[in-house]
Amino acid sequence: MNSTILLKAHKVSKAFQGFLAVAGADLEISPGEIVGIIGPNGAGKSTFFNCLSGELAPTSGSVIFEGVDVTRKTPEEHARLGMGRTYQVPATFEDMTILDNVMVGAFLRHAHQANARQEAMRILEFTDLKAQADHRAKSLGTPGRKRLEIARALATRPRLLLLDEALSGLTPLEIQQAIALVREIHRTGVTLVIVEHIMEVVLTLAQRVIVFNHGEIIATGRPEEIANDTKVIGAYLGTGRRSRRSAAMSSLDGHGA
Amino acid sequence: MRWAWVVLGGVLLVAPLTFQDPFYGRMIALMLLWAVLASAWNIVGGYAGQVAIGHAVFFGVGAYVPLLVYTHWQGVPLLGIPVGIAVSVGIAVLVGVPTFRLLGHYFSMATIAVAELIRLLVTNWEFVGAARGLGGPGTGRTIWDLSYRSSIPYYYIFLAVFTLVLGFTYWMEQSRMGYYLRAIKAGQRAARSLGVSAPRYKLYAMIVSAAFTSLAGSLYAVMLGFVDPDSVFGIMVSVQMVIMAALGGAGTLIGPLVGAALLIALQTFANSLFGGQGNGLTFILYGGIIILLSRFEPGGLLEIWNHYLARKRRKEGTE
Repeated sequence: MNSTILLKAHKVSKAFQGFLAVAGADLEISPGEIVGIIGPNGAGKSTFFNCLSGELAPTSGSVIFEGVDVTRKTPEEHARLGMGRTYQVPATFEDMTILDNVMVGAFLRHAHQANARQEAMRILEFTDLKAQADHRAKSLGTPGRKRLEIARALATRPRLLLLDEALSGLTPLEIQQAIALVREIHRTGVTLVIVEHIMEVVLTLAQRVIVFNHGEIIATGRPEEIANDTKVIGAYLGTGRRSRRSAAMSSLDGHGA
Repeated sequence: MRWAWVVLGGVLLVAPLTFQDPFYGRMIALMLLWAVLASAWNIVGGYAGQVAIGHAVFFGVGAYVPLLVYTHWQGVPLLGIPVGIAVSVGIAVLVGVPTFRLLGHYFSMATIAVAELIRLLVTNWEFVGAARGLGGPGTGRTIWDLSYRSSIPYYYIFLAVFTLVLGFTYWMEQSRMGYYLRAIKAGQRAARSLGVSAPRYKLYAMIVSAAFTSLAGSLYAVMLGFVDPDSVFGIMVSVQMVIMAALGGAGTLIGPLVGAALLIALQTFANSLFGGQGNGLTFILYGGIIILLSRFEPGGLLEIWNHYLARKRRKEGTE
């Protein structure tokens, strides 16, 4: 067991009926990092993310969290071991109050209602949701729901928090607030993995960025390195389109010849 | 809120004094029996949101075992109660483990299938009386046979059991289990990501639900002194539990009692007005309730009442 590595994904692959969504992805995360995962839509980053959080079992490869092999463990075991996550489309418990939503998370570490409630209130204060504690979750808009998902996951006291597009669909102001919250969480000692398809957000937050394209990691590095990487720029701006066009041209050429 | 509980408790305690007539005495005893059943279903169906439509299995097992004890060994039927509960819990585990992997309607259909299978098995099993069913002691041999001509003693027995279910449900609402069950109902995927072991908690809910259903079944058989496969293992038993809980308010503490009281009253009057045809009328009524609930207010009557209260409060607030 290597204590300087919090999470280690080794050659993780996931195939859906023959379609390889993630192909042999490697990743090592040290405690205290903020790691960003970016890539165009359909690049496999969310599938990879779900393999890390236990939502999906990888077809092959392994995931080690704090020295424990969690590759085939259930999502609830991941939570118990100290991994929290949010969902791309917020999955808040709509008919429950905001306080109760967070209490569900808090019950993981507290057996009694009073303690769970106290912990939940503390987290609602931290995430700026305290004023709405008694409202039902469905009364919140998208930014509120994303915030509630983060609060709920924090209540399980994760050492590693995985955020799946927690910032997409927000206005620039809301993004600024969300970034501030993520920084606050990081300051409390939680390691973070952030999946986004908006590159700018990740580049300002993450210390290290991983770029997915066609199921493979095509680049890893510091944000400023990634921003200038030609492969990354190609993946985002679509070398695909260019190469298709050139293929069409060459086939025309072929006909001409 | 506390005075409401005191009033409810008082009303339930003195109700038999106002309903001295045997006809009504039987009606209110049945209301409480069904309140127990609907409340038992409510734990797994209402709170955990797992719409099982096969609880007749537990009711039937509970009803059969005490009369089996009498028929085969001339024993006191009451001795069959713990055995019935044990068998029901065993079935709950055996059926729950595989079927809880199914979600939504698929789970409901699986529970119907299991219940019907067991009904057919019992109908063809000579040891348990096959299609004829079983009888209990005609007249009470000792006080332990719990054989009374009046329905009122049974009313109080059911009231005691109802208090037990209600007490459990109240405790559950405040505890980790209640929060976890509601989270599973609201979104199992997200619940699991928060450390909720959905398979385990659904099974817990099913076990408690089966145990209470079985206990009610046993007491019903002791009261009636006779059971046959269709009346206790039939699908109408399962459906009725669901409809009563849903009509009053699934996933609420008192909803099942409200639903049971209303439907048993309607049924009783339909039967007395239309005789044998009353039964057919009941089925039509159930169909109507299902359509109305799913179209207008899946939360049931209590939810309508809450909406009304909220609107009134808002109006008072603006004035």
